[in-house]
Amino acid sequence: MSENKDILLSIRNLKTHFHVRKRVIRAVDGVSLDVRAGKTLGLVGESGCGKSITAHTILRLLPKTARIKDGEIIFHSRKRQPVDLLKLQPSGKEMRGIRGNDISMIFQDPMSSLNPVYRIGDQIVESILEHENTTRAEAMERALEMLKRLSIPSAEKRIREYPHQFSGGMKQRVMIAMGLICNPELLIADEPTTALDVTIQAQILELMQELQRQLGFTIILITHNMGIVADVADDVAVMYMGKIMEFGSKEDVFLRPSHPYTRALLKSVPVLGNSGRDLLEPIRGSTPDPSDLPEGCSFAPRCDFAKPECGQAIPYVDVGNGHLVRCVLAEGREVRDGQ
Amino acid sequence: MLKYFVKRLIMMIPMIVFISFLVFVALDLTPGDPLTAQFSPESISGLTHEQLDALREEAGLNDSLVVRYLRWFGGVLKGDFGYSIQTGTPIGSIIANLLPATIYLALAALVLSVLMGLLFGILSAIKHNTIIDYLSSLFGVIGISMPEFFIGILAILIFAIQLKWFPAQGRTEIGATFWVNLKYILLPALSLGLALTAALTRYTRNSMLDVMNKNYVKTARAKGLSEWKVFYRHVFRNALMPISVLICLRLPMLIGGSVVIEQVFGYAGIGSRLLTAINSNDYQLVLSIIFLLSIVSLLSSVLIDLITGLLDPRVRYN
Ligand SMILES: Nc1ncnc2c1ncn2[C@@H]1O[C@H](COP(=O)(O)OP(=O)(O)O)[C@@H](O)[C@H]1O
Ligand SMILES: [Mg+2]
Repeated sequence: MSENKDILLSIRNLKTHFHVRKRVIRAVDGVSLDVRAGKTLGLVGESGCGKSITAHTILRLLPKTARIKDGEIIFHSRKRQPVDLLKLQPSGKEMRGIRGNDISMIFQDPMSSLNPVYRIGDQIVESILEHENTTRAEAMERALEMLKRLSIPSAEKRIREYPHQFSGGMKQRVMIAMGLICNPELLIADEPTTALDVTIQAQILELMQELQRQLGFTIILITHNMGIVADVADDVAVMYMGKIMEFGSKEDVFLRPSHPYTRALLKSVPVLGNSGRDLLEPIRGSTPDPSDLPEGCSFAPRCDFAKPECGQAIPYVDVGNGHLVRCVLAEGREVRDGQ
Repeated sequence: MLKYFVKRLIMMIPMIVFISFLVFVALDLTPGDPLTAQFSPESISGLTHEQLDALREEAGLNDSLVVRYLRWFGGVLKGDFGYSIQTGTPIGSIIANLLPATIYLALAALVLSVLMGLLFGILSAIKHNTIIDYLSSLFGVIGISMPEFFIGILAILIFAIQLKWFPAQGRTEIGATFWVNLKYILLPALSLGLALTAALTRYTRNSMLDVMNKNYVKTARAKGLSEWKVFYRHVFRNALMPISVLICLRLPMLIGGSVVIEQVFGYAGIGSRLLTAINSNDYQLVLSIIFLLSIVSLLSSVLIDLITGLLDPRVRYN
């Protein structure tokens, strides 16, 4: 994890905790990762492991009960000086100027993510009018163009329609249009296709990749589906109980998976090589209570290779070319989180 | 939308006919000579038995129920409700004299409770789980559980008799200045509206909190909108739909409550007149007023449809 010109976002030792009735839920507990500009990072892990909270922390859209305990998120924007997003006021002017403008986010459930009482066009235009000095008519023109880019049929008519008149897939296209309308540098897509039919999933993902080629933005794609990561990601971060277990290029992570959790995850879903040939194997046991995580490696209780050392703090190890693994079995140069 | 609304209004007609028929049958069953209900006392006093019988025949009182109903309903449509048995004055003019005062009282109560209910509700939603929130839910419980007459009497005791800020009884006539008007209307309107204020406070709070958790509110924040814009464009706008339904649902209760409140405050309106009419067995007047009040309830249900249609595109487009 070295400072590099083509890094757009770099997260170091991020900790976001919840305090619920005297218990502490360590939803994000020391996440470090780099997002390369113009590339797609797949953030993958079982549900409940802290992917969404990581994304919400980036945009500072956390619920009131959340506390950011530690870390930094440096945003290397082309338009401004590098800024630590954690130093900004969550609803202050600077953070709002980034939200929806430089970094946008689309959510898992397109059905409920659009306001039912406003026309699609008005909801897209709202972002433009918030961030730029244009007329409503011009903004509407741009919204229409964007809807056309997202291959929404008869966009001229549909821009005047209400969300309930759209199917789930079409709604997600509208959400993407809304996210891209201000030409952001980073698009965070939190399980954008999980709520959709399989055939529509593929269309949406393809569309996002096509637009990325045209417009050059960076994507953080959050998913629990290794298959999707295999299809679209350039880099992969494998997350488990608030920590990144393995991070590297897609080739490294898929062809040389070094963390037992990654290997277990790969065996549990049909991806690339193993589809059909090997039998799918669900991961043994279930995720632990997030308010009562074991010391050291939180995967140890489910791991076939667990050793006594797993109960101690586990450092990040670079097993080669920035392929990072957080496991006692990994051999290589040790990197500190803050580095 | 217009077509839907017109259809809804037309659908009201059979309802009105049905209610009016019930009212008419009830009238027909009441004891007493129907002649006194249809003619002014001056015109029939001094008539002989034969002349009265002839009048009865001429007035069609011997016709079948349906024919008599149609004739009566025709009169009602023209504002002719017959005569009060007790005072002999035309019911139409009693209503014309008193109904505006009651509508004024109910409207004042409505405006005050909507303003206060929304304000308290919004405040406790924004400050939820703080002392403000707890105080307003305490107020909600008190407001909902206390009967109107008790609130009214309490208000008179404290603010009129003890503090002497407001007059205890009566109402103003048309032409009174704004301040005098306000002095007379404030206590009865607040007492009448208290239950609605309390209900609205709780309902507004809960609807707002409900909408605040919706995903589209998160979408709005993710666009970079200021908290204030998120609040009024997305949270409040959507919470308004269930709130306006509650207000319309409660309109008939406001009218009903005015019966008691007018009595307590010596406010000359249709409600207190209804009570005197009941006490003096003035059936004709009682049923006419009840008929009017049920029309008001019916209208408020149409109003609910109109407002939800206006506020919610999902309803508008079926
Ligand atoms: N508002 C909240 N209050 C308390 N705990 C929360 C809240 N939101 C999320 N969590 C907890 O944080 C953890 C991570 O959640 P999340 O980031 O949504 O997981 P996912 O990887 O499925 O997106 C979960 O254990 C969840 O229970
Ligand atoms: Mg999630």
